[in-house]
Amino acid sequence: MSPRARSAARRTSPGEGLFDPVTFEILRNSFGTAVELMAQQFRSTCHSFVIYSKDFSCSLANAAGDTIVQGDEDVAVHIGTHHLVCQHILQEFAGDIYEGDVFITNDPYAGGTHFNDVRVLRPIFANNILIAWAMANGHWSDVGGLVPGSFDVNAREHFGEGLRISSAKVWSQGRFRADVARLIVGNTRAPQDNLSDLNAQAEATRVCEREILRLVGRYSREVVIQAFDEMIRNVRTQLQSRILELPDGTWTATDYLDSDPSQGEGLIPIQVTMTIAGDRLSYDLTGSAPAVSSFMNATFGSTLSGILAGTKHFVPEIPVNAGFYQSIDVNYGPTGTVVNATWPTAVSGFVSGAFEKVLNAIFELWSHVLPERATACSFNLEYLLVGGRDIREPSHPIFMWYDWMVGGWGARFGADGANAASPLFGAGFASQPIEGQERLNPVVTTHYQIVTDSGGPGEFRGGCGVEKGGRLSDSAATVMSYCCDRARSIPWGIRGGLGSTAQGLWLNPGTPGAQYLGASFSNVALVSGDVFSRPSSGGGGMGDPTRRDTQAVLEDVRDGYVSLHRAAKDYGVVITQHGHELDPESLQVDEAATVELRASIRSNRVQWLTSDPEVVARRFRSGEIDALDCVRTYGVILNWGTGELHPRTTEQTRQFVHDRAASWWQNGDDDQHG
Amino acid sequence: MVRRSSDRGKSLDPAEWRLAVDVGGTFTDICAINERTSELIASKIPSSIDDPLASVILGIAASGIALKDVRLVTHSTTITTNALVTRDFPPAAMITTQGFRDVIEIRDGTQQDVWDAYKEVAPPYIKRRNRFEVDERIDYSGRVLTPLDVSQTETVAQEIVRRGVKTVAVCLLNSYANPIHELQVREVLLSLNATLSVTLSSETLPEVNEYERFSTTVANSLLGSLVTEYIGRLDAYLREHGYQGDLLLMHSGGGSMTADLAQRYPLRLAASSIAGGAMAARHIAQQCGFTDAISLDMGGTSTDITLIQNGQVRVSKQWWVEYGHPISFPGVELSAVGAGGGTIAWIDGTGGIRSGPHSAGSTPGPVSYGRGGVEPTNTDANLLLGRLGAELADGAISLDVDAAQESMRVSIGEPLSLSVPEAALAVLEIADSAVSGAVRLLKQSRRSLSPSAPMIVFGGAGPMHGAAVARELDIPLVIIPPNPGITSALGCLLVDVRHDFTAMYHGIASDLEPSSLESRFLDLETDARARLRKEGISEADMVLERSVDLRYRGQWRSMNLPFGRGKGALKSAVQLFQAEYQAQFSYLDGEAPVEIYQLGLTAIGRLPTIEFPHHPLRGGKPSPRGSRNVTFNVEEGPQQTDVYDRSRLSSGMTVSGPCIIEQADATTVIPPEYEARVDPWLNLHLSLKDV
Repeated sequence: MSPRARSAARRTSPGEGLFDPVTFEILRNSFGTAVELMAQQFRSTCHSFVIYSKDFSCSLANAAGDTIVQGDEDVAVHIGTHHLVCQHILQEFAGDIYEGDVFITNDPYAGGTHFNDVRVLRPIFANNILIAWAMANGHWSDVGGLVPGSFDVNAREHFGEGLRISSAKVWSQGRFRADVARLIVGNTRAPQDNLSDLNAQAEATRVCEREILRLVGRYSREVVIQAFDEMIRNVRTQLQSRILELPDGTWTATDYLDSDPSQGEGLIPIQVTMTIAGDRLSYDLTGSAPAVSSFMNATFGSTLSGILAGTKHFVPEIPVNAGFYQSIDVNYGPTGTVVNATWPTAVSGFVSGAFEKVLNAIFELWSHVLPERATACSFNLEYLLVGGRDIREPSHPIFMWYDWMVGGWGARFGADGANAASPLFGAGFASQPIEGQERLNPVVTTHYQIVTDSGGPGEFRGGCGVEKGGRLSDSAATVMSYCCDRARSIPWGIRGGLGSTAQGLWLNPGTPGAQYLGASFSNVALVSGDVFSRPSSGGGGMGDPTRRDTQAVLEDVRDGYVSLHRAAKDYGVVITQHGHELDPESLQVDEAATVELRASIRSNRVQWLTSDPEVVARRFRSGEIDALDCVRTYGVILNWGTGELHPRTTEQTRQFVHDRAASWWQNGDDDQHG
Repeated sequence: MVRRSSDRGKSLDPAEWRLAVDVGGTFTDICAINERTSELIASKIPSSIDDPLASVILGIAASGIALKDVRLVTHSTTITTNALVTRDFPPAAMITTQGFRDVIEIRDGTQQDVWDAYKEVAPPYIKRRNRFEVDERIDYSGRVLTPLDVSQTETVAQEIVRRGVKTVAVCLLNSYANPIHELQVREVLLSLNATLSVTLSSETLPEVNEYERFSTTVANSLLGSLVTEYIGRLDAYLREHGYQGDLLLMHSGGGSMTADLAQRYPLRLAASSIAGGAMAARHIAQQCGFTDAISLDMGGTSTDITLIQNGQVRVSKQWWVEYGHPISFPGVELSAVGAGGGTIAWIDGTGGIRSGPHSAGSTPGPVSYGRGGVEPTNTDANLLLGRLGAELADGAISLDVDAAQESMRVSIGEPLSLSVPEAALAVLEIADSAVSGAVRLLKQSRRSLSPSAPMIVFGGAGPMHGAAVARELDIPLVIIPPNPGITSALGCLLVDVRHDFTAMYHGIASDLEPSSLESRFLDLETDARARLRKEGISEADMVLERSVDLRYRGQWRSMNLPFGRGKGALKSAVQLFQAEYQAQFSYLDGEAPVEIYQLGLTAIGRLPTIEFPHHPLRGGKPSPRGSRNVTFNVEEGPQQTDVYDRSRLSSGMTVSGPCIIEQADATTVIPPEYEARVDPWLNLHLSLKDV
């Protein structure tokens, strides 16, 4: 017996209840290291550049499949799905799980997320007893289906989306089952790359296994298992005591998808109700819409992930393991909804779709109970796929410009939202360098910049979104697909703050043939010379914009985050130039004019939000007002290309703008901050 | 406190000393060696808080060596790192391609803490209002798509000058492939005002990927005036006091460069102290016959871990001082963990014991320093267990045992129902486990590291923890250098002049004309020789090592491989790439084309080798200078343990654990199951006793 095992044994007598804190702390750190080792191994050996950009996750579970440690830097969207998947395997293979086995699954209907997220699991045995599981989960760049990259925007059922691997054993007691592996990778567009990722994942789980077995050798199997239990108990205690501190009550928040393509216009609600009662926290998704006829639905696993990730943002110091999700009750509501989709509903676009809506709704719910960590709505994940033949090279190789952008995060309590940040679904998910992209693809980026005025107005401004444009150069047989949302469901402000900006792509903007293609489309043919450009939204604002510190507005104007023109419209701050036109320091606030303008805005703004939307649409079409006026001043949502009014969408938008902004406004003249 | 390892060489010939001064945040370390007699001098003084130059001057004075007797001064400093953290920058502007002024703000979008929207990524070094755009565009191949709009550039230049800005970073898209527009922008700027300091991204870091290149260029431009002014003052002082040699500055890549180049590449000075420690560890490993080693430097607030493989310190081109502001100059690859002497132990909300990441640092310092610290640290734990003596630095500092005891009892002992020694043992066990976890992660990333690689342990706190950490990791040997507290300065003394050159070169390996590759390498070599010559390196002392970055076409990750000479060089590099790739990634695609991505050239100017004093093995058993109660584990409690004076341990002697070895700058703990042997260079070798 090693000295450590000896002293651990001495400090831990059975039935004593409390685990020896020193051994516990060391094992806690060691389990964390085991998962970090797995993640490091995975990222350094993966082939998918999506995984390399950090769309992956790793975890350690106990014998029952309950998560003990989830990686610190994992994408949020995988949080809380690992135990579901692990328990799925335990069930499917009951009685048939042996040392040296490795399992694979990507089944969204069994707790997974979408088909690209392929999970590889290894059971860990100590002295012939199953004690743990290691899982490495990563986004394969293609899993077959109708379109390259396996994102079919128009899919209604999963058959065209990609290969469903319900569950399979790829290594059986240490022996590689090449037949199973071939069957899987043979149904994808990149068999060799995927095989390599499969190997990388299996090897990563082996690294974790080795580390756990080292700890078993050092501390004994019993101590390791006890430490697992203690890890869960410890997190449960932390979360429950945090919940206990919060006021009891029930709150409801609704966020929206843009539309259901088969239902005409009208936002699609995702409703989340949160109840706090003593040390229990529960969520109820009842009231969310039926599944939409696109790929933006979520299954229960993805929805749970949104719930846990959203909650975690408010208690970032508490790790997510079984103690976390066991402290939370979730009612997914009826099956067949946009947040509880069932086989064979299409779900590949769930992140842009339902997932981020659940997340933002939870941000709003928690903003009621922990206002000091309040966060307004953030921009939505978006990704553009342009693929065809690259004729810069004689062999005309296939190219695939698979591009995602950063955007603005919601304003915070006492601070503006982050400008140009990675999407909520994975704050560590890196965007790609332009120069690298230009080498690999015949697309010249025309601009990639922060969009002035994109942050939602508020006492604290939403973060700014960005805009990226591309010109297709020497190419042939090229098509473009866009997986995005929030062309109509604009990121909203809270506590009096206003919304930000719409997403959506323009083809050949500024030319006579300009076309607005919106936020979700597929297989649009392109020819060399075509230019496409799309903005990401900013984040929503927080607090009444007419109470924003005038100096903060001035600084924003000096840096071009806010235009002179919208400083007046959105914030009621009048700024004038007193010198050289290029000199930002020559801009000054006209305090007297500002007081007057703010008073005028305050007395009119509620009325603006009820003015006739058809008239607003007409003024937009005539060029008298712009999209920001429609969204922020009038709460009117249009087709941003044609200017056609979306009446139902407008009605829904005005309702939530009332609840989240107008109802918070106090129209007195006490301009403390001005 | 000057220590001399040799008493030989009383009479000094002029200019036969080499002197290294490492100015850190807390201490300034000095290391000097006499090239003729091998006499080694090491000393340590507190750094001056206000003036880094004063630290250098005091350091030189503390060495007792006259500058006229010095042939070469090497120097490492934290001034650039401090400036990056405090943002002590001159007014500056950036000029970039139309549509791309936000590259350094957009970054790659990632947040350091992925779960906390309330933690900010540090804002850009140059505000948006001072980032100007000019109309121009160059494509990936270097072809001009849109010529530079010169009149617009002139307007921008005038505005920059009007704002009183003296420092301008010019960062245009794809300038690595064709610098023509950046050169034109500079011309416009300088013709308007010749005193502007203009930094071009194509000259600073001629490599693909705009975010890293722009960030590196901007940071480099901002440090220029600071470093120029500092070096000017330092150089003047040295000359005034009779020094006639070159001033060499340690850079983060583990080499040195002349003062001239340091003014052009000031950002390369960031992390120079860390590089010094790693270079010293490499030297010590080499002395002891190892090409692979783990370097572990445990100081007051953190432990820095680096790897040495095949005789080289591993370097990385992806590092930062502040998250979101990448520095792509070569820097010693480092893993830092918040475990040092001043790291605080505490009880969390669930009653669990934790260590760090908060540190009492040097102010207020551990409780026992009596300078206002109230929370127990690793140093306090070591003191309470008797591992650290109550008198430090040869009696210059007395530690307050009672205060440490009280703090440990109240903060850790009582909440966990542990006695004070139990609590102190727990604190150390957790700290050691954090360090070993970090080593494990770094080792795992370099699986080819030899299993017999020893751990070279230094820093003020390292020798107290080295054996325990090595035990945890099954590392067979711990080596502790003669002056563990001044190792960075030793590394600074040892380095050669070193420069890393790169050239972008794109092409599929199988389609290439080898002669075109050869001519690009020859160009690089011409530049490299010219630079070394300018630094006074003779042709015979120049070593030029070629390398090439290869990857499978379409992949983002490349691998750097040595590139030989002669016709077969490319073919063997490709074969080596495929073999390495398969070994590391279990992947081989015979079909996939291998692409050349970048050429590299390391130019080394060898400085005369230093002969360290070698002491013939004499063996024997030293006698302890005393003994005290030391606790190694709960079961056996305090045991009367011998304490040795390190200066009395001569070559070949062996001491058996448990025992303590004390010296002015460090205390070494030899646990009961360990023994220590002294080698001819007076390094201690700790290994498990044969059972």
